[in-house]
Amino acid sequence: MNPSVIPALVLLAALVPTAVQAKTIRIEVDGLVCAFCAQGIEKKMKAQPATDKVFVSLEKKVVAVSLKPGQDIADDKLKAEITDAGYVVKGIRRSDESLDDIRKHVKAQK
Amino acid sequence: MLLAPQAAWAKPIAFADGTTVMHERNTNMLETQAFYAPAYWWSLGPGFVRLTSDDKRTRRDIGYVQFNVLAKRWNLPAAQGNLFAFAGAGTVRSTQAGVPGARRDAVWRYGGQGDYETRSIYTSFKVDGYKAAAFSHRITTAQLGVAPYEHDYEDLATWFLLQARHYTGGLRERSPGVRRIEETLLLRLFKGPVWAELGVNRERHTQFMIMYNF
Repeated sequence: MNPSVIPALVLLAALVPTAVQAKTIRIEVDGLVCAFCAQGIEKKMKAQPATDKVFVSLEKKVVAVSLKPGQDIADDKLKAEITDAGYVVKGIRRSDESLDDIRKHVKAQK
Repeated sequence: MLLAPQAAWAKPIAFADGTTVMHERNTNMLETQAFYAPAYWWSLGPGFVRLTSDDKRTRRDIGYVQFNVLAKRWNLPAAQGNLFAFAGAGTVRSTQAGVPGARRDAVWRYGGQGDYETRSIYTSFKVDGYKAAAFSHRITTAQLGVAPYEHDYEDLATWFLLQARHYTGGLRERSPGVRRIEETLLLRLFKGPVWAELGVNRERHTQFMIMYNF
């Protein structure tokens, strides 16, 4: 290997994880109908070290978690936390949308 | 003769690792409870209820510790159903006008609740019992509520509820002009951690409740 490309590869390796790192996690939840439900799940998600902010929509049955830079929460961990809160996870999706954008989209769809 | 000790709240367990503090009062009753839920399916805490008869001649002060358990939950895409059971124990201090001194007894509390709710409909059915050497009461409560709009978490939630209660053990049926089944119209509001209820029954007695979850 040409030694001159090594710094470029190192730089690329450092950048790639950042480029694919999701900003938010959208979790679809069954049973999400009341403020108590939302408050309990919000409390669970805010307790995660990787969590920056949390948005809960009863309308869309969605819990959105924005992540701190470079951090993530494993799907198994998310499912365990929602189950421990007393609810059922129907789907998990990662997105590059910001939490504010998700909030705006949800409110615009009302 | 005595009116019912009954917190008209929706659930005895709010959420996991959550604490619920509630205070309710009307002309015949004052009640305060505090429950902590280590997990979503059970909670424990103390409570105090003061019952005063219509003629203000009889008073019962009950202090207790209560255990609540969520026996079954149904999480549906746009609804939730729950079955709760609860039991407790404490002491009651009874006084009667014209009778010197007070009587103290042990008291047991027991009951169960089923509820089903969407974002626009709320129904619940609850049985709440008190048993002591000097008295035994069972209070059955049914609630049907509708929301004029479907709220979201960050919105103010508004509900109108019709509540019917049936009493045993001489709680109401001996009072002239007071129906054995009490019907109450309630306005329920909640936003974030605060829940408030205001209502009036057919005898035009008001009822107020406030609850805070954290």
